[in-house]
Amino acid sequence: MRKAALVLATFLAAIPGFAQIDLSGEWAGTFHEDLPHRGGVRLGDYTGLPLNEAGWRKGQSWDEDARSTPERQCIPHVVTYALRGPATIRFIKVVDPVTGELQAYLLQGSYGRPRTIWMDGREHPSDLAPHTWAGFSTGKWERNTLVVTTTHIKTGWLLRNGAPTSDLATMQESFTRYDDYLVVATFINDPVYLEEPFIRTTNFVLSLPAEANAWGNCGPAQITDELGGRPKGAVPHYLPGETAHIQEFVTKSGVPAEAARGGSATIYPEYMAKLKSGNLDNRLYPEPAPGKTLPRVDSPQTRPPDDVLVLPVQQNVYLLAGAGGNMAVQVGADGVLLVDAGSGKVTDKVISAIRKLSDKPIRFILNTNADLDHMGGNERLAAAGSLAGGGRPSDTPRPGALVIAHEAVLKAVSAPTGKQAAMPFGAWPTEGYPGDYKEVFFNNEAIQLFHQPAAHTDGDSLVFFRRSDVIATGDIFDTMSYPMIDLKRGGSIKGVIAGLNHIIEITIPKDWQEGGTMVIPGHGRIADEADVVEYRDMVTIIRDRVQDMIRKGKTLDQVKAARPTLEYDPRYGAASGPWTTAMFVEAVYRSLSEEK
Amino acid sequence: MKPAAILVLLFAGMAAAQPPKAAPKTPQAAAPFDVTGNWVSVVTEDWRWRMLTPAKGDYASVPLNPEGKKVADTWDPSKAASDGCKAYGAAGVMRVPGRLRIAWQDESTLKIETDAGLQTRRLHFDKSPKPEEEHSWQGYSAAAWEPIPQRGGLGVSLQQAPPKVGALKVITTNLRAGYLRTNGVPYSENTAVTEYFDRLSAYGIDWLTVLTIVEDAKYLDQPFITSTHFKREADGSKWRPAPCEASAGSTR
Repeated sequence: MRKAALVLATFLAAIPGFAQIDLSGEWAGTFHEDLPHRGGVRLGDYTGLPLNEAGWRKGQSWDEDARSTPERQCIPHVVTYALRGPATIRFIKVVDPVTGELQAYLLQGSYGRPRTIWMDGREHPSDLAPHTWAGFSTGKWERNTLVVTTTHIKTGWLLRNGAPTSDLATMQESFTRYDDYLVVATFINDPVYLEEPFIRTTNFVLSLPAEANAWGNCGPAQITDELGGRPKGAVPHYLPGETAHIQEFVTKSGVPAEAARGGSATIYPEYMAKLKSGNLDNRLYPEPAPGKTLPRVDSPQTRPPDDVLVLPVQQNVYLLAGAGGNMAVQVGADGVLLVDAGSGKVTDKVISAIRKLSDKPIRFILNTNADLDHMGGNERLAAAGSLAGGGRPSDTPRPGALVIAHEAVLKAVSAPTGKQAAMPFGAWPTEGYPGDYKEVFFNNEAIQLFHQPAAHTDGDSLVFFRRSDVIATGDIFDTMSYPMIDLKRGGSIKGVIAGLNHIIEITIPKDWQEGGTMVIPGHGRIADEADVVEYRDMVTIIRDRVQDMIRKGKTLDQVKAARPTLEYDPRYGAASGPWTTAMFVEAVYRSLSEEK
Repeated sequence: MKPAAILVLLFAGMAAAQPPKAAPKTPQAAAPFDVTGNWVSVVTEDWRWRMLTPAKGDYASVPLNPEGKKVADTWDPSKAASDGCKAYGAAGVMRVPGRLRIAWQDESTLKIETDAGLQTRRLHFDKSPKPEEEHSWQGYSAAAWEPIPQRGGLGVSLQQAPPKVGALKVITTNLRAGYLRTNGVPYSENTAVTEYFDRLSAYGIDWLTVLTIVEDAKYLDQPFITSTHFKREADGSKWRPAPCEASAGSTR
């Protein structure tokens, strides 16, 4: 009877639960369409792309020398483009070794990163989780098609000529096999740079003798100085109106300048009539319309979390978000160390969240600046903790955790006896470190505080966890808005850029310009060096534009009217609130003007 | 009981459990998705070659053989106006920017009309032998719903449900020689075109995709493979018929 049961079980196991096409094997890409966009694509050629104004303006400013900077040499093809490269790809099924159920597909080859397409019904990560070149993909079968949804994609491109995608872009792919052909329909939805979802279809042929492209290592060891002589931190880009490359494309291709900029209107048949009519705006660089605004995209990644959230970052370090400015939490045998303390409005929740990570006392709070949203919770969190020991109780001004910040922070929040201080005594740092550096060793980890002078304010610190390989940046880096430059408290654009370059100097990517040192920004999601590079480039480009206009004698109003931030506004700008785009441009202008 | 006997009983049980055979569905009734309606080309690929007339000799990415290149190089741009419907034949018409109107002509014939070139394609699902016909721009298209392969067990197919159907596969022959691109990139009258039509949905938009494989031993080194996509439109209000010949009528 046991044998019969076994036969029956074997038989039943062989009956399919649902239809499924086998995609396994090696698939060779075919290149019979869109070749000009897949090989040596020309600068200024955005034909067929539904780019919005922010999209084509960002594309036009892109200089291919950027790819040769040390920070970008190892960037692989981002997932929004990877299948367009010259590639043989490989599909591999991953099954649970116990149940035999399909868990995932591995998609290898191309010049992108190897991908895992999860088929086990798992959720996509938190909005605060890091983004990668491959993104995070889940799949499901619909009739004859594997439908894959990808999120958490790094800022990337549609074409290798700077036609951009933002880190808010998501992607849906439909992998459909027709006999020995595979068609991948890719839909990219990017509210920052596209007027409508972008579709393209890529074709492959089953090719059993082929081998998917090998991918080796590309990391710091492979990077060389390809742009000798450029100053550190220089960002290659074209200033607005420097359009020689666009002229070159228009002349050589015969494509009118208006069509070269792309846009939704250009991708539908009726545009052919417009092309024939010649009624086109063929200016190579149309100035932004005066007063033109591009609204900020509302997304979970552009607004603060509704509640306190904790995400692991790396090793012993966690991100605690939703309490004001981001907090970093380091836990271990010695206790808890916090970078920043939030606004103080939800400290009970903060303590509760910390308690889920560790039942040990809070020993240290390190403040990255003097803003209320970063140190408003100092008093209660410090009081909830206790000293790490050593020395005499009289060596510290009050019981509870030690609070360390740069001395400029202490000056900013304190006041002599009898004067009104910006914050109550209990919220002040117990130590204001002088100079440019402070060391802490806690939970078997070396921690460095670097004072970053005249950046967001005059008292900013970067906090680097050396063993965990995590850096908390305070408000020098913010994935949700332009950097806040508080001129009245000693901030400057020069200092912000220096701070960003310092972060890039400290961070070391693991491989292919991702991972490795992880970054907790002052606000927003977990990042790595590539994200900081993108942000640094943006801030530097805006600085260069404003600087150029100052050199040309432009007034502040003229600079504002020229919209030097326009293509970044949907992602980082704001028309209202505590830090608007206009305030940022003014701060950059005044900061640069004062340097003269 | 011996295992073999169990299997025999199982097979017998399955056979007994089969519902009585119903009359086969018509191709229209068997359609796994609704392909009918109004569709518009979304030209996000090959824009330069589709929205503009490419320069003479610009046949990059088309796998022309030497003979094909020779013919393409003889194209005379000054006489492009007299090319008539050459770029609107079945091997090229889906790449021409325009709108499609798709409807069932009868329960086994699907009709695709194009406003660009004002062409009509008829996709025949009936398996009766095709009539001997003259070659035409749209040729003769034999259509079938592609079955989705179903897994079987123990080396035999043990379907419990009828096979599902996937894409629409169409093979077109009997073509007149025409152009793959408007700049005289040729295909011959011996060309066979295999197409797979499918429906997708993404970000709330309905899409029709067409994988096209053009095989022509006369002018091509290898099959020419493209895939083209169309977005659904709510109605035909944007339909703008533009005949490719002054006296163009319905063409098969």
